[in-house]
Amino acid sequence: MEAFHALMDGFAVCLQWQYLFFAVLGCLVGTLIGVLPGVGPAAGTAMLLPLTFGMSPIASIIMLSAIYYGSMYGGTITSVLVNVPGEAASAITCLDGYAMAKKGRAGSALAIAAIGSFIGGNVATMGLVLLALPLTAVALKFGPPEFFSLMLIGLSLATTLASRSVVRALISAVLGLLLAMIGMDPVLGVPRFTFGEKELLDGIGIVPIAMGLFGIGELLLTAEGSKSSVIHTRLREMWPSWQEMKASIWPIFRGTGIGFFLGLIPGIGVLVPTFISYAVEKKISKTPEKFGTGMIEGVAAPETANNAYCNAAMIPLFTLGVPGSAVIAILMSAFMMNGLIPGPFLFQEHPDIAWAVIASFYVGNLILLIMNLPMIPIWVSFLRISTPILYTLILGFCVIGAYSAHNSVFDVGLTLAFGFVGYAFKKLDIPLAPMILTVILGPLMERALRQSLEMSRGDFTIFFTRPISAALLGLAAVFVATSLMKMASQVKEDRVA
Amino acid sequence: MPTMRRPYQLTALVLFGLSGFIAYESLKLKYYTSLGPGPGFFPLWLSLAMAALAAAMFFQATFKAPEPRPADFRDSRTGYLRAAAICVAWIWATLMLERLGYRLTMLVFFPVLLFALGRVKWWLVVAISLLGSVAVFYVFSVGLSVHLPVGPFDGVFESIDDLVF
Repeated sequence: MEAFHALMDGFAVCLQWQYLFFAVLGCLVGTLIGVLPGVGPAAGTAMLLPLTFGMSPIASIIMLSAIYYGSMYGGTITSVLVNVPGEAASAITCLDGYAMAKKGRAGSALAIAAIGSFIGGNVATMGLVLLALPLTAVALKFGPPEFFSLMLIGLSLATTLASRSVVRALISAVLGLLLAMIGMDPVLGVPRFTFGEKELLDGIGIVPIAMGLFGIGELLLTAEGSKSSVIHTRLREMWPSWQEMKASIWPIFRGTGIGFFLGLIPGIGVLVPTFISYAVEKKISKTPEKFGTGMIEGVAAPETANNAYCNAAMIPLFTLGVPGSAVIAILMSAFMMNGLIPGPFLFQEHPDIAWAVIASFYVGNLILLIMNLPMIPIWVSFLRISTPILYTLILGFCVIGAYSAHNSVFDVGLTLAFGFVGYAFKKLDIPLAPMILTVILGPLMERALRQSLEMSRGDFTIFFTRPISAALLGLAAVFVATSLMKMASQVKEDRVA
Repeated sequence: MPTMRRPYQLTALVLFGLSGFIAYESLKLKYYTSLGPGPGFFPLWLSLAMAALAAAMFFQATFKAPEPRPADFRDSRTGYLRAAAICVAWIWATLMLERLGYRLTMLVFFPVLLFALGRVKWWLVVAISLLGSVAVFYVFSVGLSVHLPVGPFDGVFESIDDLVF
């Protein structure tokens, strides 16, 4: 009850016109940052941090937070419209979002993404208000063994991202894991597969991989095959149908849960919940073979998960002063620059600021929805641009995105190399999603496994003697068993046919 | 009717070769330490998994009923030329971005692509090339503080630079 009163006081502060202005500005700038490939939320927030030096603490934190969750939606726009993920977390949305756009349903995809993001963000914020401390206590029990077991669940879901062939999905997954091995060994610091190239010491970034596989690969394929084609969408087709809204309810609910839970765990990153929520939807769907052809569930779930994650990731920051990701660390620096120390004492020493910022998350999510829904026809109208001009503009922005990730032309060259890989994969019907999933999970898994074994002096039973880790391993075993059963029944059906 | 047999067989052979190379490189790294897997542990096992999957792909392609080849698996010569134009433009950007600077590099990049990918009116080509190279440079470098390379011949833009910076 006390929290409710404090939250109401927070609304009274953040709804003042000057703070509303900064929330709107943050949402707008965040959306633009998300649209631009390669300029991710971390870079965008870091670039705009100096602009907040002259602002009040509440205004600066409200604006920077709005940039963060605004960029999540911005990344969706390019993923849906042109199959180029604006930021890496939106890569999975390319699969069904772009397929929907090709069928003239881009507006539906963007609308459901906006609605799902709103719901996910607000539920996560509610969780921050009501359940912050007990949930954070559970999340802090996650050590390297629990991380490894959680990543194993993600890996076991890789086969659900298969299209028609599990062998090809596994090839994609293993290639992703091998790509993740490039760079410095996470424990001993030894270079692996760098072949003397200093640019590879940090490994291969997700930006060239995602942009190359999804964006350049698709552009090569489409340029090779198509004549000038323009997708026309009528105004009434810009909005989701009743069936699409109904089909999105449970994916939004599940995406919220997955994004919220994983947001509590520092170090997971936003890519993991988006991919896991997509894989879960495909696994439990009655028509998994249709994923990748324009299923609304394939947009609703990951887009909800990423916004739920963004808002939930604030919980460890507010309750314990622990930043869970690079962007949250930048937000933490904004707090500290204003003389505020995030953590449990923030609510005691500066309750007006803490609750005003939390209330602004509700307001910011609403502003994002109100701002982006009417803009959908404008975004979709970009599809009316003729193909040569649209592709040229996309390629130009991709060059900027690839270069600006690390200010390196090596990444620009790598993006083209992955473009060839994406092109070849599409021709050979090898799914891209397992590769992206394992590129992200691989380093996290390896580091967690080796840290766990260092903790236990090489004893593998550490994964089974810790209760949370054991439970997660059990879940992973269930997923693997169901995948194997599915493979066996597929083999049986092929024999009968 | 053409099938996917040959493409999958060739892919499997390429993957098998790749897994052999990775296994060879992995053996140069430490396999195991007193505290658990070393840097060579995972790459070695992954290369073996890749070899097994490549063998499975080859087996399926050779001994099982092959999948039909999609109609658009091979495209027209014009289509390949369009895709090649994208590759050439991108390679140009990769090689010249830091040598010539963003503006001069993209002043070539945009018109090449616009002419190669379809019919675009000449004045649109000029407008898009100028906006995409010069205007975008200032938006990113001044507005967004995103560093874009400035080459040795960028003195050409000195008068505009003096105005903006």
